Amino acid sequence: MTGKGKSRWADSAEDAALEAQLKKEKEEKKRLKAEKARKAAEAEKKKREAEAAAAAQRRQQHQTGDDDDDANGPPAKRRRLSPDRDAPPPSQAASTASSSNDSSKLLRFEGGRFGKCRSVENYDKLNDIEEGAYGWVARAREIETGKVVALKRLKIDPKDRSGLPVTGLREIQILKDCSHRNIVKLKEVVVGDDTSKIENIFIVLEFLEHDLKSILEDMPEPFLASEVKTLLLQLCSGIAYLHSHYILHRDLKTSNLLLNNRGQLKIADFGMARYVPDPPPPKLTQLVVTLWYRAPELLLGAARYGPEIDMWSVGCIFGELLTREPLLQGKNEVDELTKIFELCGLPTDDSWPGFRRLPNARSLRLPSTTSSTSFSNPTTTALIRAKFPLLTTAGVSLLASLLSLNPAKRPTAHEMLDHEYFRQEPKPKHEAMFPTFPSKAGQERRRKRETPNAPQRNQKGNESGIVDFSSLAVGGIFGAGREREERGGGFSLRMV
Amino acid sequence: MSHMVNPLATPDQLYQRRSFSALPTELQDAIFFSTQCLTQAAGLLLQLPQSVTAQANVIIARYWLEEPMMSHEFSDISAASVYLTAKLSPYPRSPRDLALVYNYLLSPSSTFFQPLASASGDSPPPPPTNIPNDYYLPEHIYNSFHTRMLDCESRILYALSFNTHVSLPHPLAITYLQALDFLNTSKSTVSKRTLAYLNTALLSPQMLYLTSQPNALAVAAIYNAAKDVGAKMPECEWWEVFDVDREELGFLVVGMRSVDGWGRKMREDVERIKAETESGKRGGMIRRRDVEGELRRRGLSVGNGYAKGAGGTGAGSEEPVDMEAEMARRMDEKMAEIEGSAS
Repeated sequence: MTGKGKSRWADSAEDAALEAQLKKEKEEKKRLKAEKARKAAEAEKKKREAEAAAAAQRRQQHQTGDDDDDANGPPAKRRRLSPDRDAPPPSQAASTASSSNDSSKLLRFEGGRFGKCRSVENYDKLNDIEEGAYGWVARAREIETGKVVALKRLKIDPKDRSGLPVTGLREIQILKDCSHRNIVKLKEVVVGDDTSKIENIFIVLEFLEHDLKSILEDMPEPFLASEVKTLLLQLCSGIAYLHSHYILHRDLKTSNLLLNNRGQLKIADFGMARYVPDPPPPKLTQLVVTLWYRAPELLLGAARYGPEIDMWSVGCIFGELLTREPLLQGKNEVDELTKIFELCGLPTDDSWPGFRRLPNARSLRLPSTTSSTSFSNPTTTALIRAKFPLLTTAGVSLLASLLSLNPAKRPTAHEMLDHEYFRQEPKPKHEAMFPTFPSKAGQERRRKRETPNAPQRNQKGNESGIVDFSSLAVGGIFGAGREREERGGGFSLRMV
Repeated sequence: MSHMVNPLATPDQLYQRRSFSALPTELQDAIFFSTQCLTQAAGLLLQLPQSVTAQANVIIARYWLEEPMMSHEFSDISAASVYLTAKLSPYPRSPRDLALVYNYLLSPSSTFFQPLASASGDSPPPPPTNIPNDYYLPEHIYNSFHTRMLDCESRILYALSFNTHVSLPHPLAITYLQALDFLNTSKSTVSKRTLAYLNTALLSPQMLYLTSQPNALAVAAIYNAAKDVGAKMPECEWWEVFDVDREELGFLVVGMRSVDGWGRKMREDVERIKAETESGKRGGMIRRRDVEGELRRRGLSVGNGYAKGAGGTGAGSEEPVDMEAEMARRMDEKMAEIEGSAS
């Protein structure tokens, strides 16, 4: 092996010794492994025994007579609630099988328990992470365990006479119901020490070092294609989980996506989220999603919308991951829609049937489709390809489908997970191989962000959701994609 | 999955309520029953779907395992839980709606807990005449109600760690009935009876919703309904298909059936307690001061009761605030009386 690999007769003592040593090492390893397995099994057994003992003790404590379920099985009997309540089984039921208890396996549902909030004094504040429209977020350490967490203070307006904000309550409830590796974990809710008046409410969340927004701002080079895929896949599987649980996030953007130093992405900030049944109820608030990530149907005032609005935001985030710049930075609703039409082309009655019936589409003046051919209205795919020349064909098709103006044409999160883009080379990078970044949240106060905030629920003036698009200035609307266009405007957008 | 399970009460929580609380058990049961009935009545007047009102019922039951019953007025806790569950549902109701409804339900004109014919044979008193002045809501009464309600709302949320999740067995019961082909009887008869059992179980001081998961409640209600309408159930142990064992089913079947008789007894208790108050009127919702009066008559000290109740849950520091709130409440009531008589 050492230098004389070819000599077949070199069965020297040295070799034999080496071989023996190797064999010994191997055996040693094997032995250790077996030992480990044995220990693990033992521990497991012990644990089970302890559990069984505990269960037995519990049962005894509550003075129950029967002890017929085997020790290894789950403590499957009805939980004893108080000493004095031994229910007599109804005679009708008793007449049927009597020995079925040991044969049938019943599912037990574990719903947890309820109890009072703990005090915020169980945590030691380390530093502020963020203070802004969302309220106050700080890094803190749980005194008992030393674990670092993020404390988010629930914003309460003392003048608001409608009690605790429904958005905050929804956020807590939704996060409590969620359990997925790509969704930030809510550990508990704690309150200020003075419990006679509940004013200070803090949500305790797992702490992640970064948010995607500040990483994108600071990185000198954009993410590699493989890294973009990893991030998108994680985002998408989190969203697939949410949507399959009837939750709409309604405020997806890069600053709400957290990243830890192990390359794990988690969706955070559920202040706008809510349960939405399928089919969606007829009237939902349109004032959701930060402007730059807001889907066109929301801008056009649709009151009935579904998970597609989150997928639009995913498209915007995809674009942002590629360029490090938010994709559609509109100054206001009108400007945002202009930018959308610049990037994606104009909607037609074919590509988006029924969009003209949306409330705000009335003030929109678009060319009639009869006069313009497909030639004058390039497809979204073509426009996207022009904007992202380095993206592969599969990538372009995915991005273009996410940014379909017609919500029905956007892929669902589950469909997106199966997209060819993720199977092509370069393959998504393994999370463990992800580069790390210096954490701002861990050490210092953040810079002020220039991202616009999620719309406020009781924002004055725009409550009706009516936006007047009559001033939509579309002089250069096709600047990017219409070089080939020679016939001049096949359409005109008039001011009214 | 989370849509099918509820957090359940621990044996400790249940035991503590029975043993450490200052109030005698039968008084606690009477208060529990009346408050749950009041909540249902308010839900009807507020035109809330039962899915919302029933959640409020469960929230109240959970809350009272965490905090002593006497620390707030019962009707305020009821109002706060309805307000809270409605707010989180697609059918929010304004504080003023709640104030109007509760003001009416607690007024002498309301038919809520109208006295029943008593066992001694005397006919029940005629329904109260409707005097709109009884339930006129002046602004200051509204304001103090509003403040108390918000106070109770945050109190409830604190006591439950902000976990407002309630899964109801009603939709499961219908699904199970469909799976059982409605036991070959009239769909509407057996479904209605099943839902009636589930709704009645909300009122049970045994707190069935806190001790059993929705699937077990649904199966027990179906079992009872099938017995009542004389439907033929499968021969086998069909409840095991729905992951309920015979013992739990038996317990729930008995528990659900007993609510009827139990409820009647508790209504009589409430009537008796109400009849011994200064007003001497037999009907209506039981109030904190009625309970205090009853305790005094029984020779149990109220102050002692408070301390014990509060100490039992480790919240002794709240005493002075409660006193203050109590004072404010008394003053409000006094004012209301003056206002009422002046107008």
